[in-house]
Formats: sequence, C-alpha cells, structure tokens
Amino acid sequence: MDLISKERDRLLQRSARVYGLSFTAVAALCLSLPGAVPVPVLLAVLPLLLVVAGAQVTIGASRALWWPLLELAAGLGAIAVVGAFAAPPTVAASLGVLNLAAASLPSAALVLTTSGPRLVLLGLGALASVGAVVYVESSEPAEAFRNGGTALVGWGLAALVTVWISAGVPQVAKRIASIGRAHRAERQASELEAQRRQSARLLHDTVLASLTLLAHSGVGVKPEAMREQAAEDARLLRQLRLGTAPQPEATATGSVPVLAPDDPVLGTTLESVKQRFGRMGLKVSWHGTGQVLLPSHALDAFLLALAECLENVRRHSGVTEAHVTITDDEKTVRALVTDNGVGFDIDDIDEAKLGFAESVVGRLREVGGNARLFSAPGSGTTVALEVPRG
Amino acid sequence: MSKSDAIPFSQPEENTLGVVVGNAKRAVQSTARRLGRAATAHRASLGTAFLGLGAAIVVGLRAVYGLIRMVGQWDAYPEPFAALAAWIVLAAVLIGAIVMSRVTGDRLPDWMFGLFLAGLAIAFALDVIAIWELQDIGAHATAALTAGMALLVLVALRGSVEILTAAGVVALALIVVTFFDAPLGALGDGPWLATQATAIAGAVLPPVIGVVIVEGFRRMVQVELDRVLVQSTVSAPRFAVGMLASEELARLDLAAEELLDAVANQKTKLPLSPKNASVAAQLATELRLHLIEGRRETWLYHAVSESEQLGKSVTLSDKSSLAGLLDPTQRDGLLSAAWLLVADVPSRQGRRRAAARTLNLQIGPVVPGGSTVPDHKIAVPITITSTGIPRNRVDSGVWGAIARIGRYSDSTQDGSLRVDIECIVDNPADQ
Repeated sequence: MDLISKERDRLLQRSARVYGLSFTAVAALCLSLPGAVPVPVLLAVLPLLLVVAGAQVTIGASRALWWPLLELAAGLGAIAVVGAFAAPPTVAASLGVLNLAAASLPSAALVLTTSGPRLVLLGLGALASVGAVVYVESSEPAEAFRNGGTALVGWGLAALVTVWISAGVPQVAKRIASIGRAHRAERQASELEAQRRQSARLLHDTVLASLTLLAHSGVGVKPEAMREQAAEDARLLRQLRLGTAPQPEATATGSVPVLAPDDPVLGTTLESVKQRFGRMGLKVSWHGTGQVLLPSHALDAFLLALAECLENVRRHSGVTEAHVTITDDEKTVRALVTDNGVGFDIDDIDEAKLGFAESVVGRLREVGGNARLFSAPGSGTTVALEVPRG
Repeated sequence: MSKSDAIPFSQPEENTLGVVVGNAKRAVQSTARRLGRAATAHRASLGTAFLGLGAAIVVGLRAVYGLIRMVGQWDAYPEPFAALAAWIVLAAVLIGAIVMSRVTGDRLPDWMFGLFLAGLAIAFALDVIAIWELQDIGAHATAALTAGMALLVLVALRGSVEILTAAGVVALALIVVTFFDAPLGALGDGPWLATQATAIAGAVLPPVIGVVIVEGFRRMVQVELDRVLVQSTVSAPRFAVGMLASEELARLDLAAEELLDAVANQKTKLPLSPKNASVAAQLATELRLHLIEGRRETWLYHAVSESEQLGKSVTLSDKSSLAGLLDPTQRDGLLSAAWLLVADVPSRQGRRRAAARTLNLQIGPVVPGGSTVPDHKIAVPITITSTGIPRNRVDSGVWGAIARIGRYSDSTQDGSLRVDIECIVDNPADQ
C-alpha cells in the first residue's frame, strides 16, 4: 500500500475517534440526567458506553477490524438494555439513544469503507442501529419512524463524508505527483545551472584574481587598471548571469587567438591573459606557437594553470616580466613559464603554500597533464606545463 | 568611508563546502526548507477546496432540514417574522459565503470573514428573539442552530483556530441564552436538559469535527508533498550539487559582480577600506572553495536536508559518501523505510512523541573481505538505529522496503529497533 493511502487511513481513523467520542459523551450525558433511566439500567449502560469510548479511542490508532466491531456491539448492547428495561423511554433516554445510534456509532463508518468485509460491517451496523432505535421506541410508531429515520440519515451522512474524503485523496495525489515531476525537472535544471557556472572556470579565474587584488585593498595596482579590470569582470559576470556565453574581450591587437574548437562557454585567448597581467603590472612575452588547439576542458585547465603560474610570478618573483614559451607536437602541448626573479629553494617552500599543488598540478592532472617546477635562489623560476592533446 | 559605501554581503552560516560554521547544519536545513516551503506555501490548501464543497453540501442539507422545521412550527412562534428574518439573513450569508469561496479560492479575506460572522450573529439573535417566550431554545431554535453548523462552510478557507474560536463563541452564546431563557426548575428537569444538550452539541460539534478532518487532510498533503519532492533525489547522480548549490554560486557571482561594478563605477573608492577588502577576501575564498572542490554530497544528504520531516529526525553518517553508490531501487527502499519509520506518527498526542523518534543512518565503512560478494561488486554495510520506535509498532511495509536494499537482520536494543543491512553495489573502482 502506498504511503498516501496509509496517511488517508490515519486521517479517517483520527477523525472517527473525535467524531465518535464527542457524541458518545453527549449520549452519556443525556442518559445520566436525573430521571432519564432507572438507576440500575444506568449502571448497566454506562460501562457499555465506556467500552464504546475505549474502542473509539483505539480506532484512532489501530486499523484492526475488531475495534469497530466491539464499538458497535457495545453500543447496540447499551441501546438494547434501555429498550428492554426502560421502555417506554423518557425524552432524555430517547435523545441519549438517538445520539448514540445516529452520531456516535456511525462514526465507525469512517473506517469501514476500504474493503469488502468492512463494507458488510458498515451495512450491518447501520441496519442494526436503526433496528435498535425502532425497538426502543416500539410503543410509539411515529417516534420510532422519526428516530429510526434519523439514525439512517446519521449513518448515510457519515458514509458520505468518508466517500467524499476518499475521493479527494486520489485527486490530490495526482496533483502532488505532477508537482513532484516538475520538481525533478527543477532539480536537474539546478544541477545543470550549477555545472554551467562551475564550468565557466576561466571567467571565475579572472574574477578571483581581481577579488584577491581587492582583498589587499587594491594596493600595488594603478587605480585605473584596477577599475578597468573590475569593469571587464563585472561585464563577464553579468553575461553569465543573463545566460549568454561570456566572451572575453575581442583581440584587436592582431595576435593569433587561441580558440578551442568546441568551447561553447568561454572561448578565450592567450591575449586576454596577457592583457590582464599587463594591467596588473606584469609584462608577459609570448614565444613559440600562437595557436593551441585543445578540447575545451583541457584548454581550460591549461589556461588556468598558466594564469596561476603567472600570478605566482607577479606576487613572489620580484620582477615585472615573465616569458611564456609554448610548443606542441602531435601528442602534447607544453608551456614553459620563466622569470628572472628571486627564485627559491624548492625544498624550503611548501608547494601547497603557493597553491601550486592544488591549482596547477591538480588541474592539469585532471585532464591527464602534469607540471614540474624548477627554481634556485637567485636564479629565477621555471615551470613546465604539459597537457595531452586528446 | 560613509556607511552607504559599504557593500552588502551577508556572511552565510556555512561555507560553500557545507562545512559546519557555527550552527550551520540547521542553517542549511532551514534554507532548504524555506525554499521548499516557498514553493509549497499555497499548496498546503491543495485539495481542501474539494473538502470545502463537501462541507457546503452538508451545511445545505442541514439548512433545508432547519427550514422545514421552521415552517412546521410556524404557528407556535410568538414572533414568527423574526424567525423568517433570521432565515433570510442566514440564507443570504450562506449563499454569499459559498459563492465567494468558489470565487476567491484558497482563502476568504478578513473583512468577508468578519461580515460572515456578523451575519451569523444577526441570524442567531433574530431566531432567539422569535422563540424567547417559549422558554425552550433547544427544541425550537432553527436558524440559530444552523448558524453554528454554518461555520463548516469556511472550514477550508480560514485557519483552524479561527473556526474553533468561532464555534466556541457560538457554543457559549447558546449556553448563555438557553439558561437565561430557562423556565423555573429547568435545571432539575431531565428532558429539558437533554434537549438543550443535544441541540447545542448538534450545532457546535460538526464544525469542530470538520476542523479535525481538514487539519488532518492538510497534514497528509504536506507529508506527501515533502515525500514526493525528496523522492526526486532517487534518480540523482552519485554526487549532486543539490538544489542549493547553484543558488549559492549565483549568489556569490552576484555579490562579486556588484563589488566589481562598484569599483569600476568609482562608487567604491580605491584603495578599498579594510571592511570592503575583507568582504572581497571572503568572497574570493568562498568562490574558490566552491569552484575548486565543488559541492560533493550524495543524494541521501540532499534528501535528508531538504525534507522537513526527515530533517527533523534523521541523522546521517556517511563519511565516505557511499550512499551515492546505491542504485535507484536501493535508494527508493532506503528512503521508503526511513519515511515509514519516521512518518508513522499518529499526530496530536504523537507530536510530543515525534520529537523523541529519531533515526540514525550509518553507511559504511566497507570492511574488505567481510563476506563473499560477486565480482565487480562490494558490500556496503548500512545500519539503521532508531530511538522511540518499539519493534511491534513498526509498519509492516518497512521490511519490504529494507529488503529492497539488501539482506538484513534486525535486533532490539534498549527497547528500540536496530537493523543491519548488507547492501551489494557496483564497485566504483571498476567503472
């Protein structure tokens, strides 16, 4: 059984409990009023009503068929006792019986519609209730007819309520299921959107570089250059947000663009890397091949690693010029990033501290490449980057 | 720097890796729930319009019955035209309410609710005036009793507390007028008392029962929605970013864009103030973490954190993210079992118990060579420990659901259930 059917049953059970208990209380009140029934009859009826109430409490939590059965048996027994020993009934006794037969016992109908045996019990309960009321009022046919009719209406009303609620559940389940399908699509879309933003790595790389500069209050960079860079990055972010593929600045200088053939998100050029570092005060000289054809993910990793190396040069080398030599053969593309700066003893410097392991080696390894670092104090630094073509 | 120069960027309670910063776990879950709720706020009323229609039919039947009785005792009325006026007012209010409920949909505006209650009060007063001299409100009132039941019409359109309060006021009013209108010695008169009690109960209890049904129905819809929304994680990839990740990345991107824009337009002066610089540093750190590491959580983590019901009572320990290896059938089984164990709470008095009902899902660690498994498979041990769930109260459907995950054995520990499952999954090393 699916979960919503369980929930529906639980709802009906709890409703039956409140429904039944409240009218059992009214019935008990009517029968206990002074002069309603003789005291010995009352002493026999009240325990039976207690059993009815107990069964109704249990119906709220248990699905066993025994409980409605017990409830009906005890309730009908109470009515029969009144009919046998207190006939003809007083007005109060008559009302007590009516509350029991037309409202309290019919509450069981709420849990008696889900299977064949239950429906049979529902029918029997209704008939027996009407019969019991008629038996109590047998001395006055008009009253018997009216109260019997009321009991029948009470059962009919309870059954109607049950059918109505049960009919509402499949409707709502259907609508919830369609909401669920929409949600699944939404989840997939959200996953894709996250991927789109995450794969716009090169863009984020320049944004991160700018943010890092700003984190140092922009000290060490000319304000105009900083603003120019910020404007460019903000433009790219805006494009990303608006859903178009951001294109870094067009190359007007005539140098050969490096375009990945299948890069849908972020075509880029070595030139833009060069311009960016130029603005931040590091002159980058290119040597060797100007055109690099790589699959987009490899190109991304390659350019990111390259930019990361240049950033290290800018920050740590103490010089304002770096050389990048790019060579390629059928299998690999290589880049050497060289500077004549202060250099360092490789053993002294924790690679992780430079972000080297993570941002350079890690990225290249993801696409099957590698990076090596050569340096000595006083004689500059060289980084060799390698990415396979295929 | 002036205050307006500051860049708005609220520091989140968790970092972008989902690592706990302060009471972050709660923060994630509340965000997830907020998102879920924003989407489902108006859906809480799903299906209650249909219930409202049923309630209107019941009230209509009751009104017809009351009207017949009014006509039947026409000759007995000391003030028959007051009774007639009461019915005219009541009919106008009821028809107006039913029509408006069809038009306005989910909720009746406050002023209309006020108008409705005022109309009921007038009908009630007129009917009481009409029969005052008979000194037997319970036997002769018609419109006044129907007015109590009429609250049922709004049971799906207003809050439960409002309906219950209104029903309470009607009950109180009935009791007060009944006793002020009582003949001498009536308090010892069984038949008179029984008539009044039956009449008052018949007028007031239906709206109360209606509130119980509609509340239960709303709760059922809420639980089912929660379950269905979370169910979409079953088809998620091994690692997913979750519904929040792209939102967070978008938020960070936007914050960065605004900061950079402010710098470019000279709204923010260079060099930056220390405060803005630290905002930039914070943004850069978050963005970097988010981009380099990505958000690597399993579907189960997302399911638990996004669900209101599971989030409340399920704790998950899955250090090696092994849940991601489960296939859709196993995931469905695990989720269903968790649902059946946690959601099986008989509401009201169970609400207190619900707090004590917790579930701990322990996934892994994989023990090599623990048992024989087919080639290219590994066995992931899953342990479900619970508190507050006695063995004999466990829904029978739970075992079927657990059997879909793998071979299991269950035991009882300190009166609560513990299930050990051996879940056979594809070995990720072979993929």
